[in-house]
Amino acid sequence: MSMLNLDKLKVNRFLCVFFIGYLFLSCKKEKINYTYGVNHIHLLPSNVNKTRLKSSEQYISILYTNLFQKSLSSNQIATISQAFESVGDQILARQIFVANLLNKPGVIIPSVQEMNANLEKFIEDTYIRFYVRKPTQAEKEFMLQAIQADPNLTPELIYMAFALSNEYMYY
Amino acid sequence: MKRKEFIKKTGLAAAGMLAFPYILPSGRAFFRTRAPLADHVVLVMFAGGVRHQESTLQGYLQLGQGIKIPSLNSPDNAGNIMPNIFNGPAPDPLKTPIVYGTGNTGANPIPPILSPANSIQSKGVTFKEVRCVTAGHYQGYTALLQGNFIGSQGLKQKPILPTIFEYVRKFRGEPASKVWLVGNTIGGSVPLLNYSEYFGYGAKYGANFFVPLVTFGQQGKTWFEDAKNYHPESELSPMYKLKYFLDNNFSNIGKSLPDLNNTEQEKYDIHNFMKLMFNKTNNNSVAKPPGADNSDARTIGYTAELLKYFKPTLTAVILSNVDQCHQSYTGYLRALHQADHSVGWLWNYIQTQIPEMAGKTVMLITPECGRDLYPNPIKDQNNYFAYDHSDANSLRTFASMIGVNVPQGIVKGNENQPVGLNINVVPTIAELLGIKDQVVNAGFLYNGPFGQAKSFFELLS
Repeated sequence: MSMLNLDKLKVNRFLCVFFIGYLFLSCKKEKINYTYGVNHIHLLPSNVNKTRLKSSEQYISILYTNLFQKSLSSNQIATISQAFESVGDQILARQIFVANLLNKPGVIIPSVQEMNANLEKFIEDTYIRFYVRKPTQAEKEFMLQAIQADPNLTPELIYMAFALSNEYMYY
Repeated sequence: MKRKEFIKKTGLAAAGMLAFPYILPSGRAFFRTRAPLADHVVLVMFAGGVRHQESTLQGYLQLGQGIKIPSLNSPDNAGNIMPNIFNGPAPDPLKTPIVYGTGNTGANPIPPILSPANSIQSKGVTFKEVRCVTAGHYQGYTALLQGNFIGSQGLKQKPILPTIFEYVRKFRGEPASKVWLVGNTIGGSVPLLNYSEYFGYGAKYGANFFVPLVTFGQQGKTWFEDAKNYHPESELSPMYKLKYFLDNNFSNIGKSLPDLNNTEQEKYDIHNFMKLMFNKTNNNSVAKPPGADNSDARTIGYTAELLKYFKPTLTAVILSNVDQCHQSYTGYLRALHQADHSVGWLWNYIQTQIPEMAGKTVMLITPECGRDLYPNPIKDQNNYFAYDHSDANSLRTFASMIGVNVPQGIVKGNENQPVGLNINVVPTIAELLGIKDQVVNAGFLYNGPFGQAKSFFELLS
């Protein structure tokens, strides 16, 4: 093989490697960061982590502290638990217990005037007080309409509904 | 509407009613196959371990202490201390010590409420020698209510198999406020007995339940009595509406507490009953057997009030003062005598004070278990020996029933020929309330070494 042919072969090989390399390295797709103008939101409801049922003692203790901003003695908790055990319908037992607490002096509960002075704040405060979370927009809307539509729905009855709701039974 | 159209529609509706069965709230559809024999049933789960020797055998101190104290081992020391349930002469005070009555020494027997001619034995059926399937209290209660006995039944576990409460509510479509269990303690797992956790049954068919001495005692007075009585329409209704909205938002995450399915109206009624009982308790005007004041008697008094208020289809009441026999034989005799008095008084109260139930009710009385033949070493104030319950004698017991459609004056079985099991209570109640076929077909009744659970009525022939 002559020297000329050998050089030609080397040039061809070089060109071949060069073009293949160029093909892979030079044609990079441009990266585009799309922005849709939407805020990041959590898709799961904010109460999704409440999977554990409160024991009677936990329910009693948490509710009393919530309504009176002070705690019960362990003896009182035991007595209330016994009263609960003596009633078959545990939902009814809780309802009567809550109605009893709301009727006691010293319960800390907003007046109707305070509620109506800033309804949205009352709703948000109630959700935080009982559920330790803010209401969703849908919850806030429903509550607003329900309270505005029914003058009988006092803070006392709203507190009762929250205290008896299934979500309040869990933590 | 034209006449022709009216007749056509009425005809179609009538045909539909005939063609399609009665649809129960449970969602099940069937025809009732047998007519009920009674509108109301009261089951007394009697007393807490009753020794056969002092009950149907009427042996008093002869059969109670004669085995250890020879001076008492003669027929002079025998006698009937349960005159409302059984017929037979009382112990003779001239021949034997009288310790089962009231007063400091127990020397004053309580006069019977029912005369011998009207006793439960005279006016009903007595199975004198019935076998229990277990010698324990809680397993005895579960056996009585399930019509079966499960060896793996835990002491702090709800009944494994469906109870008679669930059968009655499921197969008769009874509302929750028509089925009740009344206990005399929150101990001994008694609050677990009002429903099983069996799939397809459970809380939604469970019985309402009170332990009146706690519900209306100090615990209930402190934490329930002052509950505001909200107006059902203007206050409770919007509250419930809001609660349902809140629950709906949580329905995919957590379940409700076990729910007996009392309607809002039933809850309101039960709360009103509680208010009434608090008032009566404060005024000391709760109905009560006149000659007794122990917790069994007071529980029976509250049960009478409950019967008068709700007129339940099925009520079961648990008495257990007799269980002091573990350490006090004298206390046991007194409790047994008072339990008999309380039962006689309750039957009389139903017949005389509750016209809606008089003549339409059947009452069954049976202990959950018996007691040992031989005593333990514990002596009481009279130097009488106490008894536990674990031997074969603990499986000996009795069953009595009285009321509408119950034959009168029949005594079945004796020491040599036992007749019946105490778990026959479930098929008996089922027969009385017209649901026996459904209960039998449900397939949970006992069929084992002791025989097969069957209605006491089947054993009469």
